[in-house]
Amino acid sequence: MLELDPIFDAISEWLASFLPPVVVTIVKGFGTAGVVLGVLSLFVLFFIWMERKVSAHMQQRLGPMRTGWHGALQTVADAVKLIQKEDLVPSDADRAVYFWAPVVCFAAALMAYLVIPFGEGLIVQDLNIGILYVIAITTFTVVSLLMAGWGSNNKWALLGGMRSAAQIVSYEVPLSMSLIGTIMIAESLSMITIVESQSGPFWNWFVFRQPIGFIVYFIAATAEANRTPFDIPEAEQELVAGFNVEYSGMKFAMFFLAEFINMFTISALAVTLFFGGWMAPFPFLDFIPSWIWFLAKAFTSVFVLMWFRWTYPRIRVDQLMGFAWKFLLPLAFLNIILTGIGIYIF
Amino acid sequence: MNLVKQTIDGIYNLLLGLGVTVKHLFKKAITVQYPKERWEMPERSRGVIVLLSDKETGKLNCTACMLCARACPVAAIKIEREKNPETKKFEPTSFDIDTTVCCYCGLCEQACNFSAIKLTGKYEFSVYDKDRLQYDMDFLQEIGRDVKYEKKKKVAKKAVKKAAQKKKEDKAGEEEKSQEKSATKPSAKADAAAEDEKPADSEQKEESKTEDKTGDDKNEPDSSEESESKKE
Repeated sequence: MLELDPIFDAISEWLASFLPPVVVTIVKGFGTAGVVLGVLSLFVLFFIWMERKVSAHMQQRLGPMRTGWHGALQTVADAVKLIQKEDLVPSDADRAVYFWAPVVCFAAALMAYLVIPFGEGLIVQDLNIGILYVIAITTFTVVSLLMAGWGSNNKWALLGGMRSAAQIVSYEVPLSMSLIGTIMIAESLSMITIVESQSGPFWNWFVFRQPIGFIVYFIAATAEANRTPFDIPEAEQELVAGFNVEYSGMKFAMFFLAEFINMFTISALAVTLFFGGWMAPFPFLDFIPSWIWFLAKAFTSVFVLMWFRWTYPRIRVDQLMGFAWKFLLPLAFLNIILTGIGIYIF
Repeated sequence: MNLVKQTIDGIYNLLLGLGVTVKHLFKKAITVQYPKERWEMPERSRGVIVLLSDKETGKLNCTACMLCARACPVAAIKIEREKNPETKKFEPTSFDIDTTVCCYCGLCEQACNFSAIKLTGKYEFSVYDKDRLQYDMDFLQEIGRDVKYEKKKKVAKKAVKKAAQKKKEDKAGEEEKSQEKSATKPSAKADAAAEDEKPADSEQKEESKTEDKTGDDKNEPDSSEESESKKE
């Protein structure tokens, strides 16, 4: 079938046949990064179109219809427009911080894909601290948002940045805690090992052994990605657009891309940790390539995130903080205790 | 316990919300793709004004009676007329509507007795130049060519009849006979015409008359006579 892993092996062998090993390593590194970036860009293009269509049809509209088949090329047209736009810098802005904020944001969003397994063997580098790495690297987003808010020298942007810092720092705690149950069962931090410990039919997936952990993770992750109902950092009605209000052109596009990449990261992590990663729901469905299973699950998860966004209203700042500290965190601790008891008994 | 109940309640309501949105996701979108698709305008919609012309002769229905120009609250209609020496009837020589002031109230259409002027469902009449909003007779006739309409005469008669009946009812028993005669006589003619065409209407008419009779017979000798004569 259409397994992608042998293709990459063949390419690296072919490169090794005429290049020195150091060069091969460098080329492989850049090549993989390029492939990941390319694939993610395609996904993001699709997600933006999907978000538009899903939101439109939930409001009984049609959404974009004119550019391409059912507006499929709308995102491409938007990208072209964004590239053409003038790159404005506010006169009082802190230029260096202003410039680097979108770069940090985009890089942090992209670096999570170092350890996400897209399929059997389709992982850039299987770190033995995979989960820790992902949690650590995605938190860089908050730095970039603060940079954007501070660098713009705009009160809306600064408020948005401060809000997002408060929010992400708060939700980071229940997010990390909710994953500990999974790690305890899998007895590993490596993504590959976690997926492999969920092999077999679908009731072996961790979502059925860690339902509380999954719920806490998914809620906290929604907040991490600044998606509705936790989108107070970019609340349009209160903050105009939040941290990215002063950005235009490609810098804005990078924030936008990073947001959608983060959304896919959340979904990919949820699939890896709770829905069996690339595993088919039944062993006899293994003839379908593993990366198709992974993408199908991840895209469903992305759809659920969009579904949330177009259903729920934004919650207040104090409600948001109270929810994280008073509700999610105790729930996450409860989950750890229950998991410990379960492991001790069985 | 309260917290648990609230949590369960909250989760139930969140799922309810998701159910609503997913239900709408699969409903048909109500968007009309405008230049490709258009609304089918209702028959009585008040869009651009046209002048109607006779389907057979192709001539305007307008008799230049000036009723529409008088009815117009913003004086948007300017008509000039001339007597045709052959038919000895008035014909409009120019018929201008200033659509920059027109408020699309439809009073001109109501006033017209000859189905000559009509507000249609057409609406795409934006222009770049303000002067082109001054519609002249030829233009009004041209855009009215394909408008379907019914001749208005029956409606006019009915209106006269109804107005007369109302007058009669109002005045019954309280005013002098001479005034009543003048009011009821034209209505009798209209009744006769209406009975030929619409029996249902005439039934209503008779009902109203019986009411009149029972109400105060003595004061109304004229109307009772008329109803007798009609039955013959």
